[in-house]
Amino acid sequence: MTDATQRSGDGFGETHGDETDDDRTAYDVPSDETPVECTYCGRPFESDALLALHRGQVHADVITDDERAAYDSAHEAESGQLRRFRLKALAVLVVIYFGFLMVYALV
Amino acid sequence: MRRRALVPGLRAVAVASVLAAVARPVLAHGGSLGGGARESLTVPTWLMLATGGAAVGGSFLLASFATDRSAIDALLDGRRTLRLPVEPALRLVAGALGVVVLLGVLVTGYVGPTDPLSNPAVVVVWGGWWAGFAMSTYLVGNTWPAVNPWRTVVSALPDFGRSYRWRFGAWPSVAGLLALVWIEVVSPLADEPAVLATTVLGYSAVTLAGAVVYGPETWFSEVDPVARVFRYYGAVAPFGRAEDGSPELRPPGSAVSSDLLDGVDEVAFVVALLWVTTFDGFVATPAWRTVARWLVGLGYPPALLYPGAMLAGFALFFGLYLLAARLARRTAPTYVATATLARRFAPPLLAIAAGYHVAHFLGYFLSLTPALLTAVTAPLATVNPPLLVVPGWFGGVAIAGVLGGHLVAILAAHATAFDLFPGRLQAIRSQYPFIAVMVCYTMASLWIVTRPDVPLPYLP
Repeated sequence: MTDATQRSGDGFGETHGDETDDDRTAYDVPSDETPVECTYCGRPFESDALLALHRGQVHADVITDDERAAYDSAHEAESGQLRRFRLKALAVLVVIYFGFLMVYALV
Repeated sequence: MRRRALVPGLRAVAVASVLAAVARPVLAHGGSLGGGARESLTVPTWLMLATGGAAVGGSFLLASFATDRSAIDALLDGRRTLRLPVEPALRLVAGALGVVVLLGVLVTGYVGPTDPLSNPAVVVVWGGWWAGFAMSTYLVGNTWPAVNPWRTVVSALPDFGRSYRWRFGAWPSVAGLLALVWIEVVSPLADEPAVLATTVLGYSAVTLAGAVVYGPETWFSEVDPVARVFRYYGAVAPFGRAEDGSPELRPPGSAVSSDLLDGVDEVAFVVALLWVTTFDGFVATPAWRTVARWLVGLGYPPALLYPGAMLAGFALFFGLYLLAARLARRTAPTYVATATLARRFAPPLLAIAAGYHVAHFLGYFLSLTPALLTAVTAPLATVNPPLLVVPGWFGGVAIAGVLGGHLVAILAAHATAFDLFPGRLQAIRSQYPFIAVMVCYTMASLWIVTRPDVPLPYLP
């Protein structure tokens, strides 16, 4: 949840006066799982890393130094994963591009 | 959509006029983005489908490189509030114009020329309203609440204000949309002005009665399918209304990444909007003819062929979409409920619907503009108006419309995912099932437009 969550006007949802809060996200936790919950807003998360990222983004102005450090290290770890993902995505794009180039040359 | 129904009328014109003979094939294929491509490219169908699917999937991979939250937010920002000093006057003019056009359609539908291209009711409803006006709702902004003639008429009538059962939600409008498109497909709405006028009259009776009983606000925001179509298309447009109701200018397509929908029922309407476009093309394919003959051979009543296909296809589309929302919980992974995921990832699909609408109707609209002008200036004369010849490269505009719609949808879904999830990789992975659905939809649409058009089976 970032601050970008906004409900546009355009006549959407005007008749449902009962829903006035900005965040209408519902959660559904399977009964056999134990989520970690955000102490500030109660949102359940699948892992400590995701919770740390959430705290750093949504509650940046109220979190403790420890939580800030946890956010930084989770962000760092995620950046590493993201770099590997990008390499794979790039490889797939190259395969798609040259694959189609060759197929079009042959067909 | 209307292309098929207009073909017999156009053929008559084509015999008389060389100009129309050139235009007719373009118009006949105006609805299919494959029309131009089919004639100029000699690419096998499987390769065309694969290319379309890869273009969508590849755009997603490219979008996945954008993981900087502030950059994504900056893309969506830049909303500017506008002030319209003469808004009440504009509303009055638009409302009056809507009522005049509605009356004109009803009158000329019954007493105007029977040649569809000379009849104002036919060209105004299909060319002016369903092609031209509908395009303005997503390219510029949704002005339907001001133009809507039934709303204007109802404002002069008493309001019983009966309370609407909220648990029905948007479902009546989903049923209404499916019913309207079913009527459009199985009846000669674009060929026989009197049938069109009767349909408009029937729609008016239902709409006015409903709006009087439940109140215009409730009726046009919940039940009326037409108002909902334009409101949803308007979410793609650069002009819209901010939360406080003031007009605003925003980057086109940026509003569809916000939390627009109230529940799964409204998601169903978005899916229905995509499905009816597909249905309209699908029933003209040889594959449908084969299926229909096989079903009737098994003893299925021919009268129920089209309603059955309409409902079955919608159930399939909606089921696949909800399945994607369920799977997204696992691919992300996340504890966000399936219903929330379905709701948040549906508005981006509106950009795809708008893209297909451009592909179907831009060329159609342009070729009908002379007929529109004639209809307005000489409403009761049979004049065989010329059709504007749309150049061959125009097929490229149709393809650009579809690709542009997909691109906006992918970017909006990407922004939505980053809005929903704290993890960047999680946000990317949450989109896998939805992208898979988009790829399938693109390939299915391309498959339909590369099939030859055949007359609809089992219709009188």
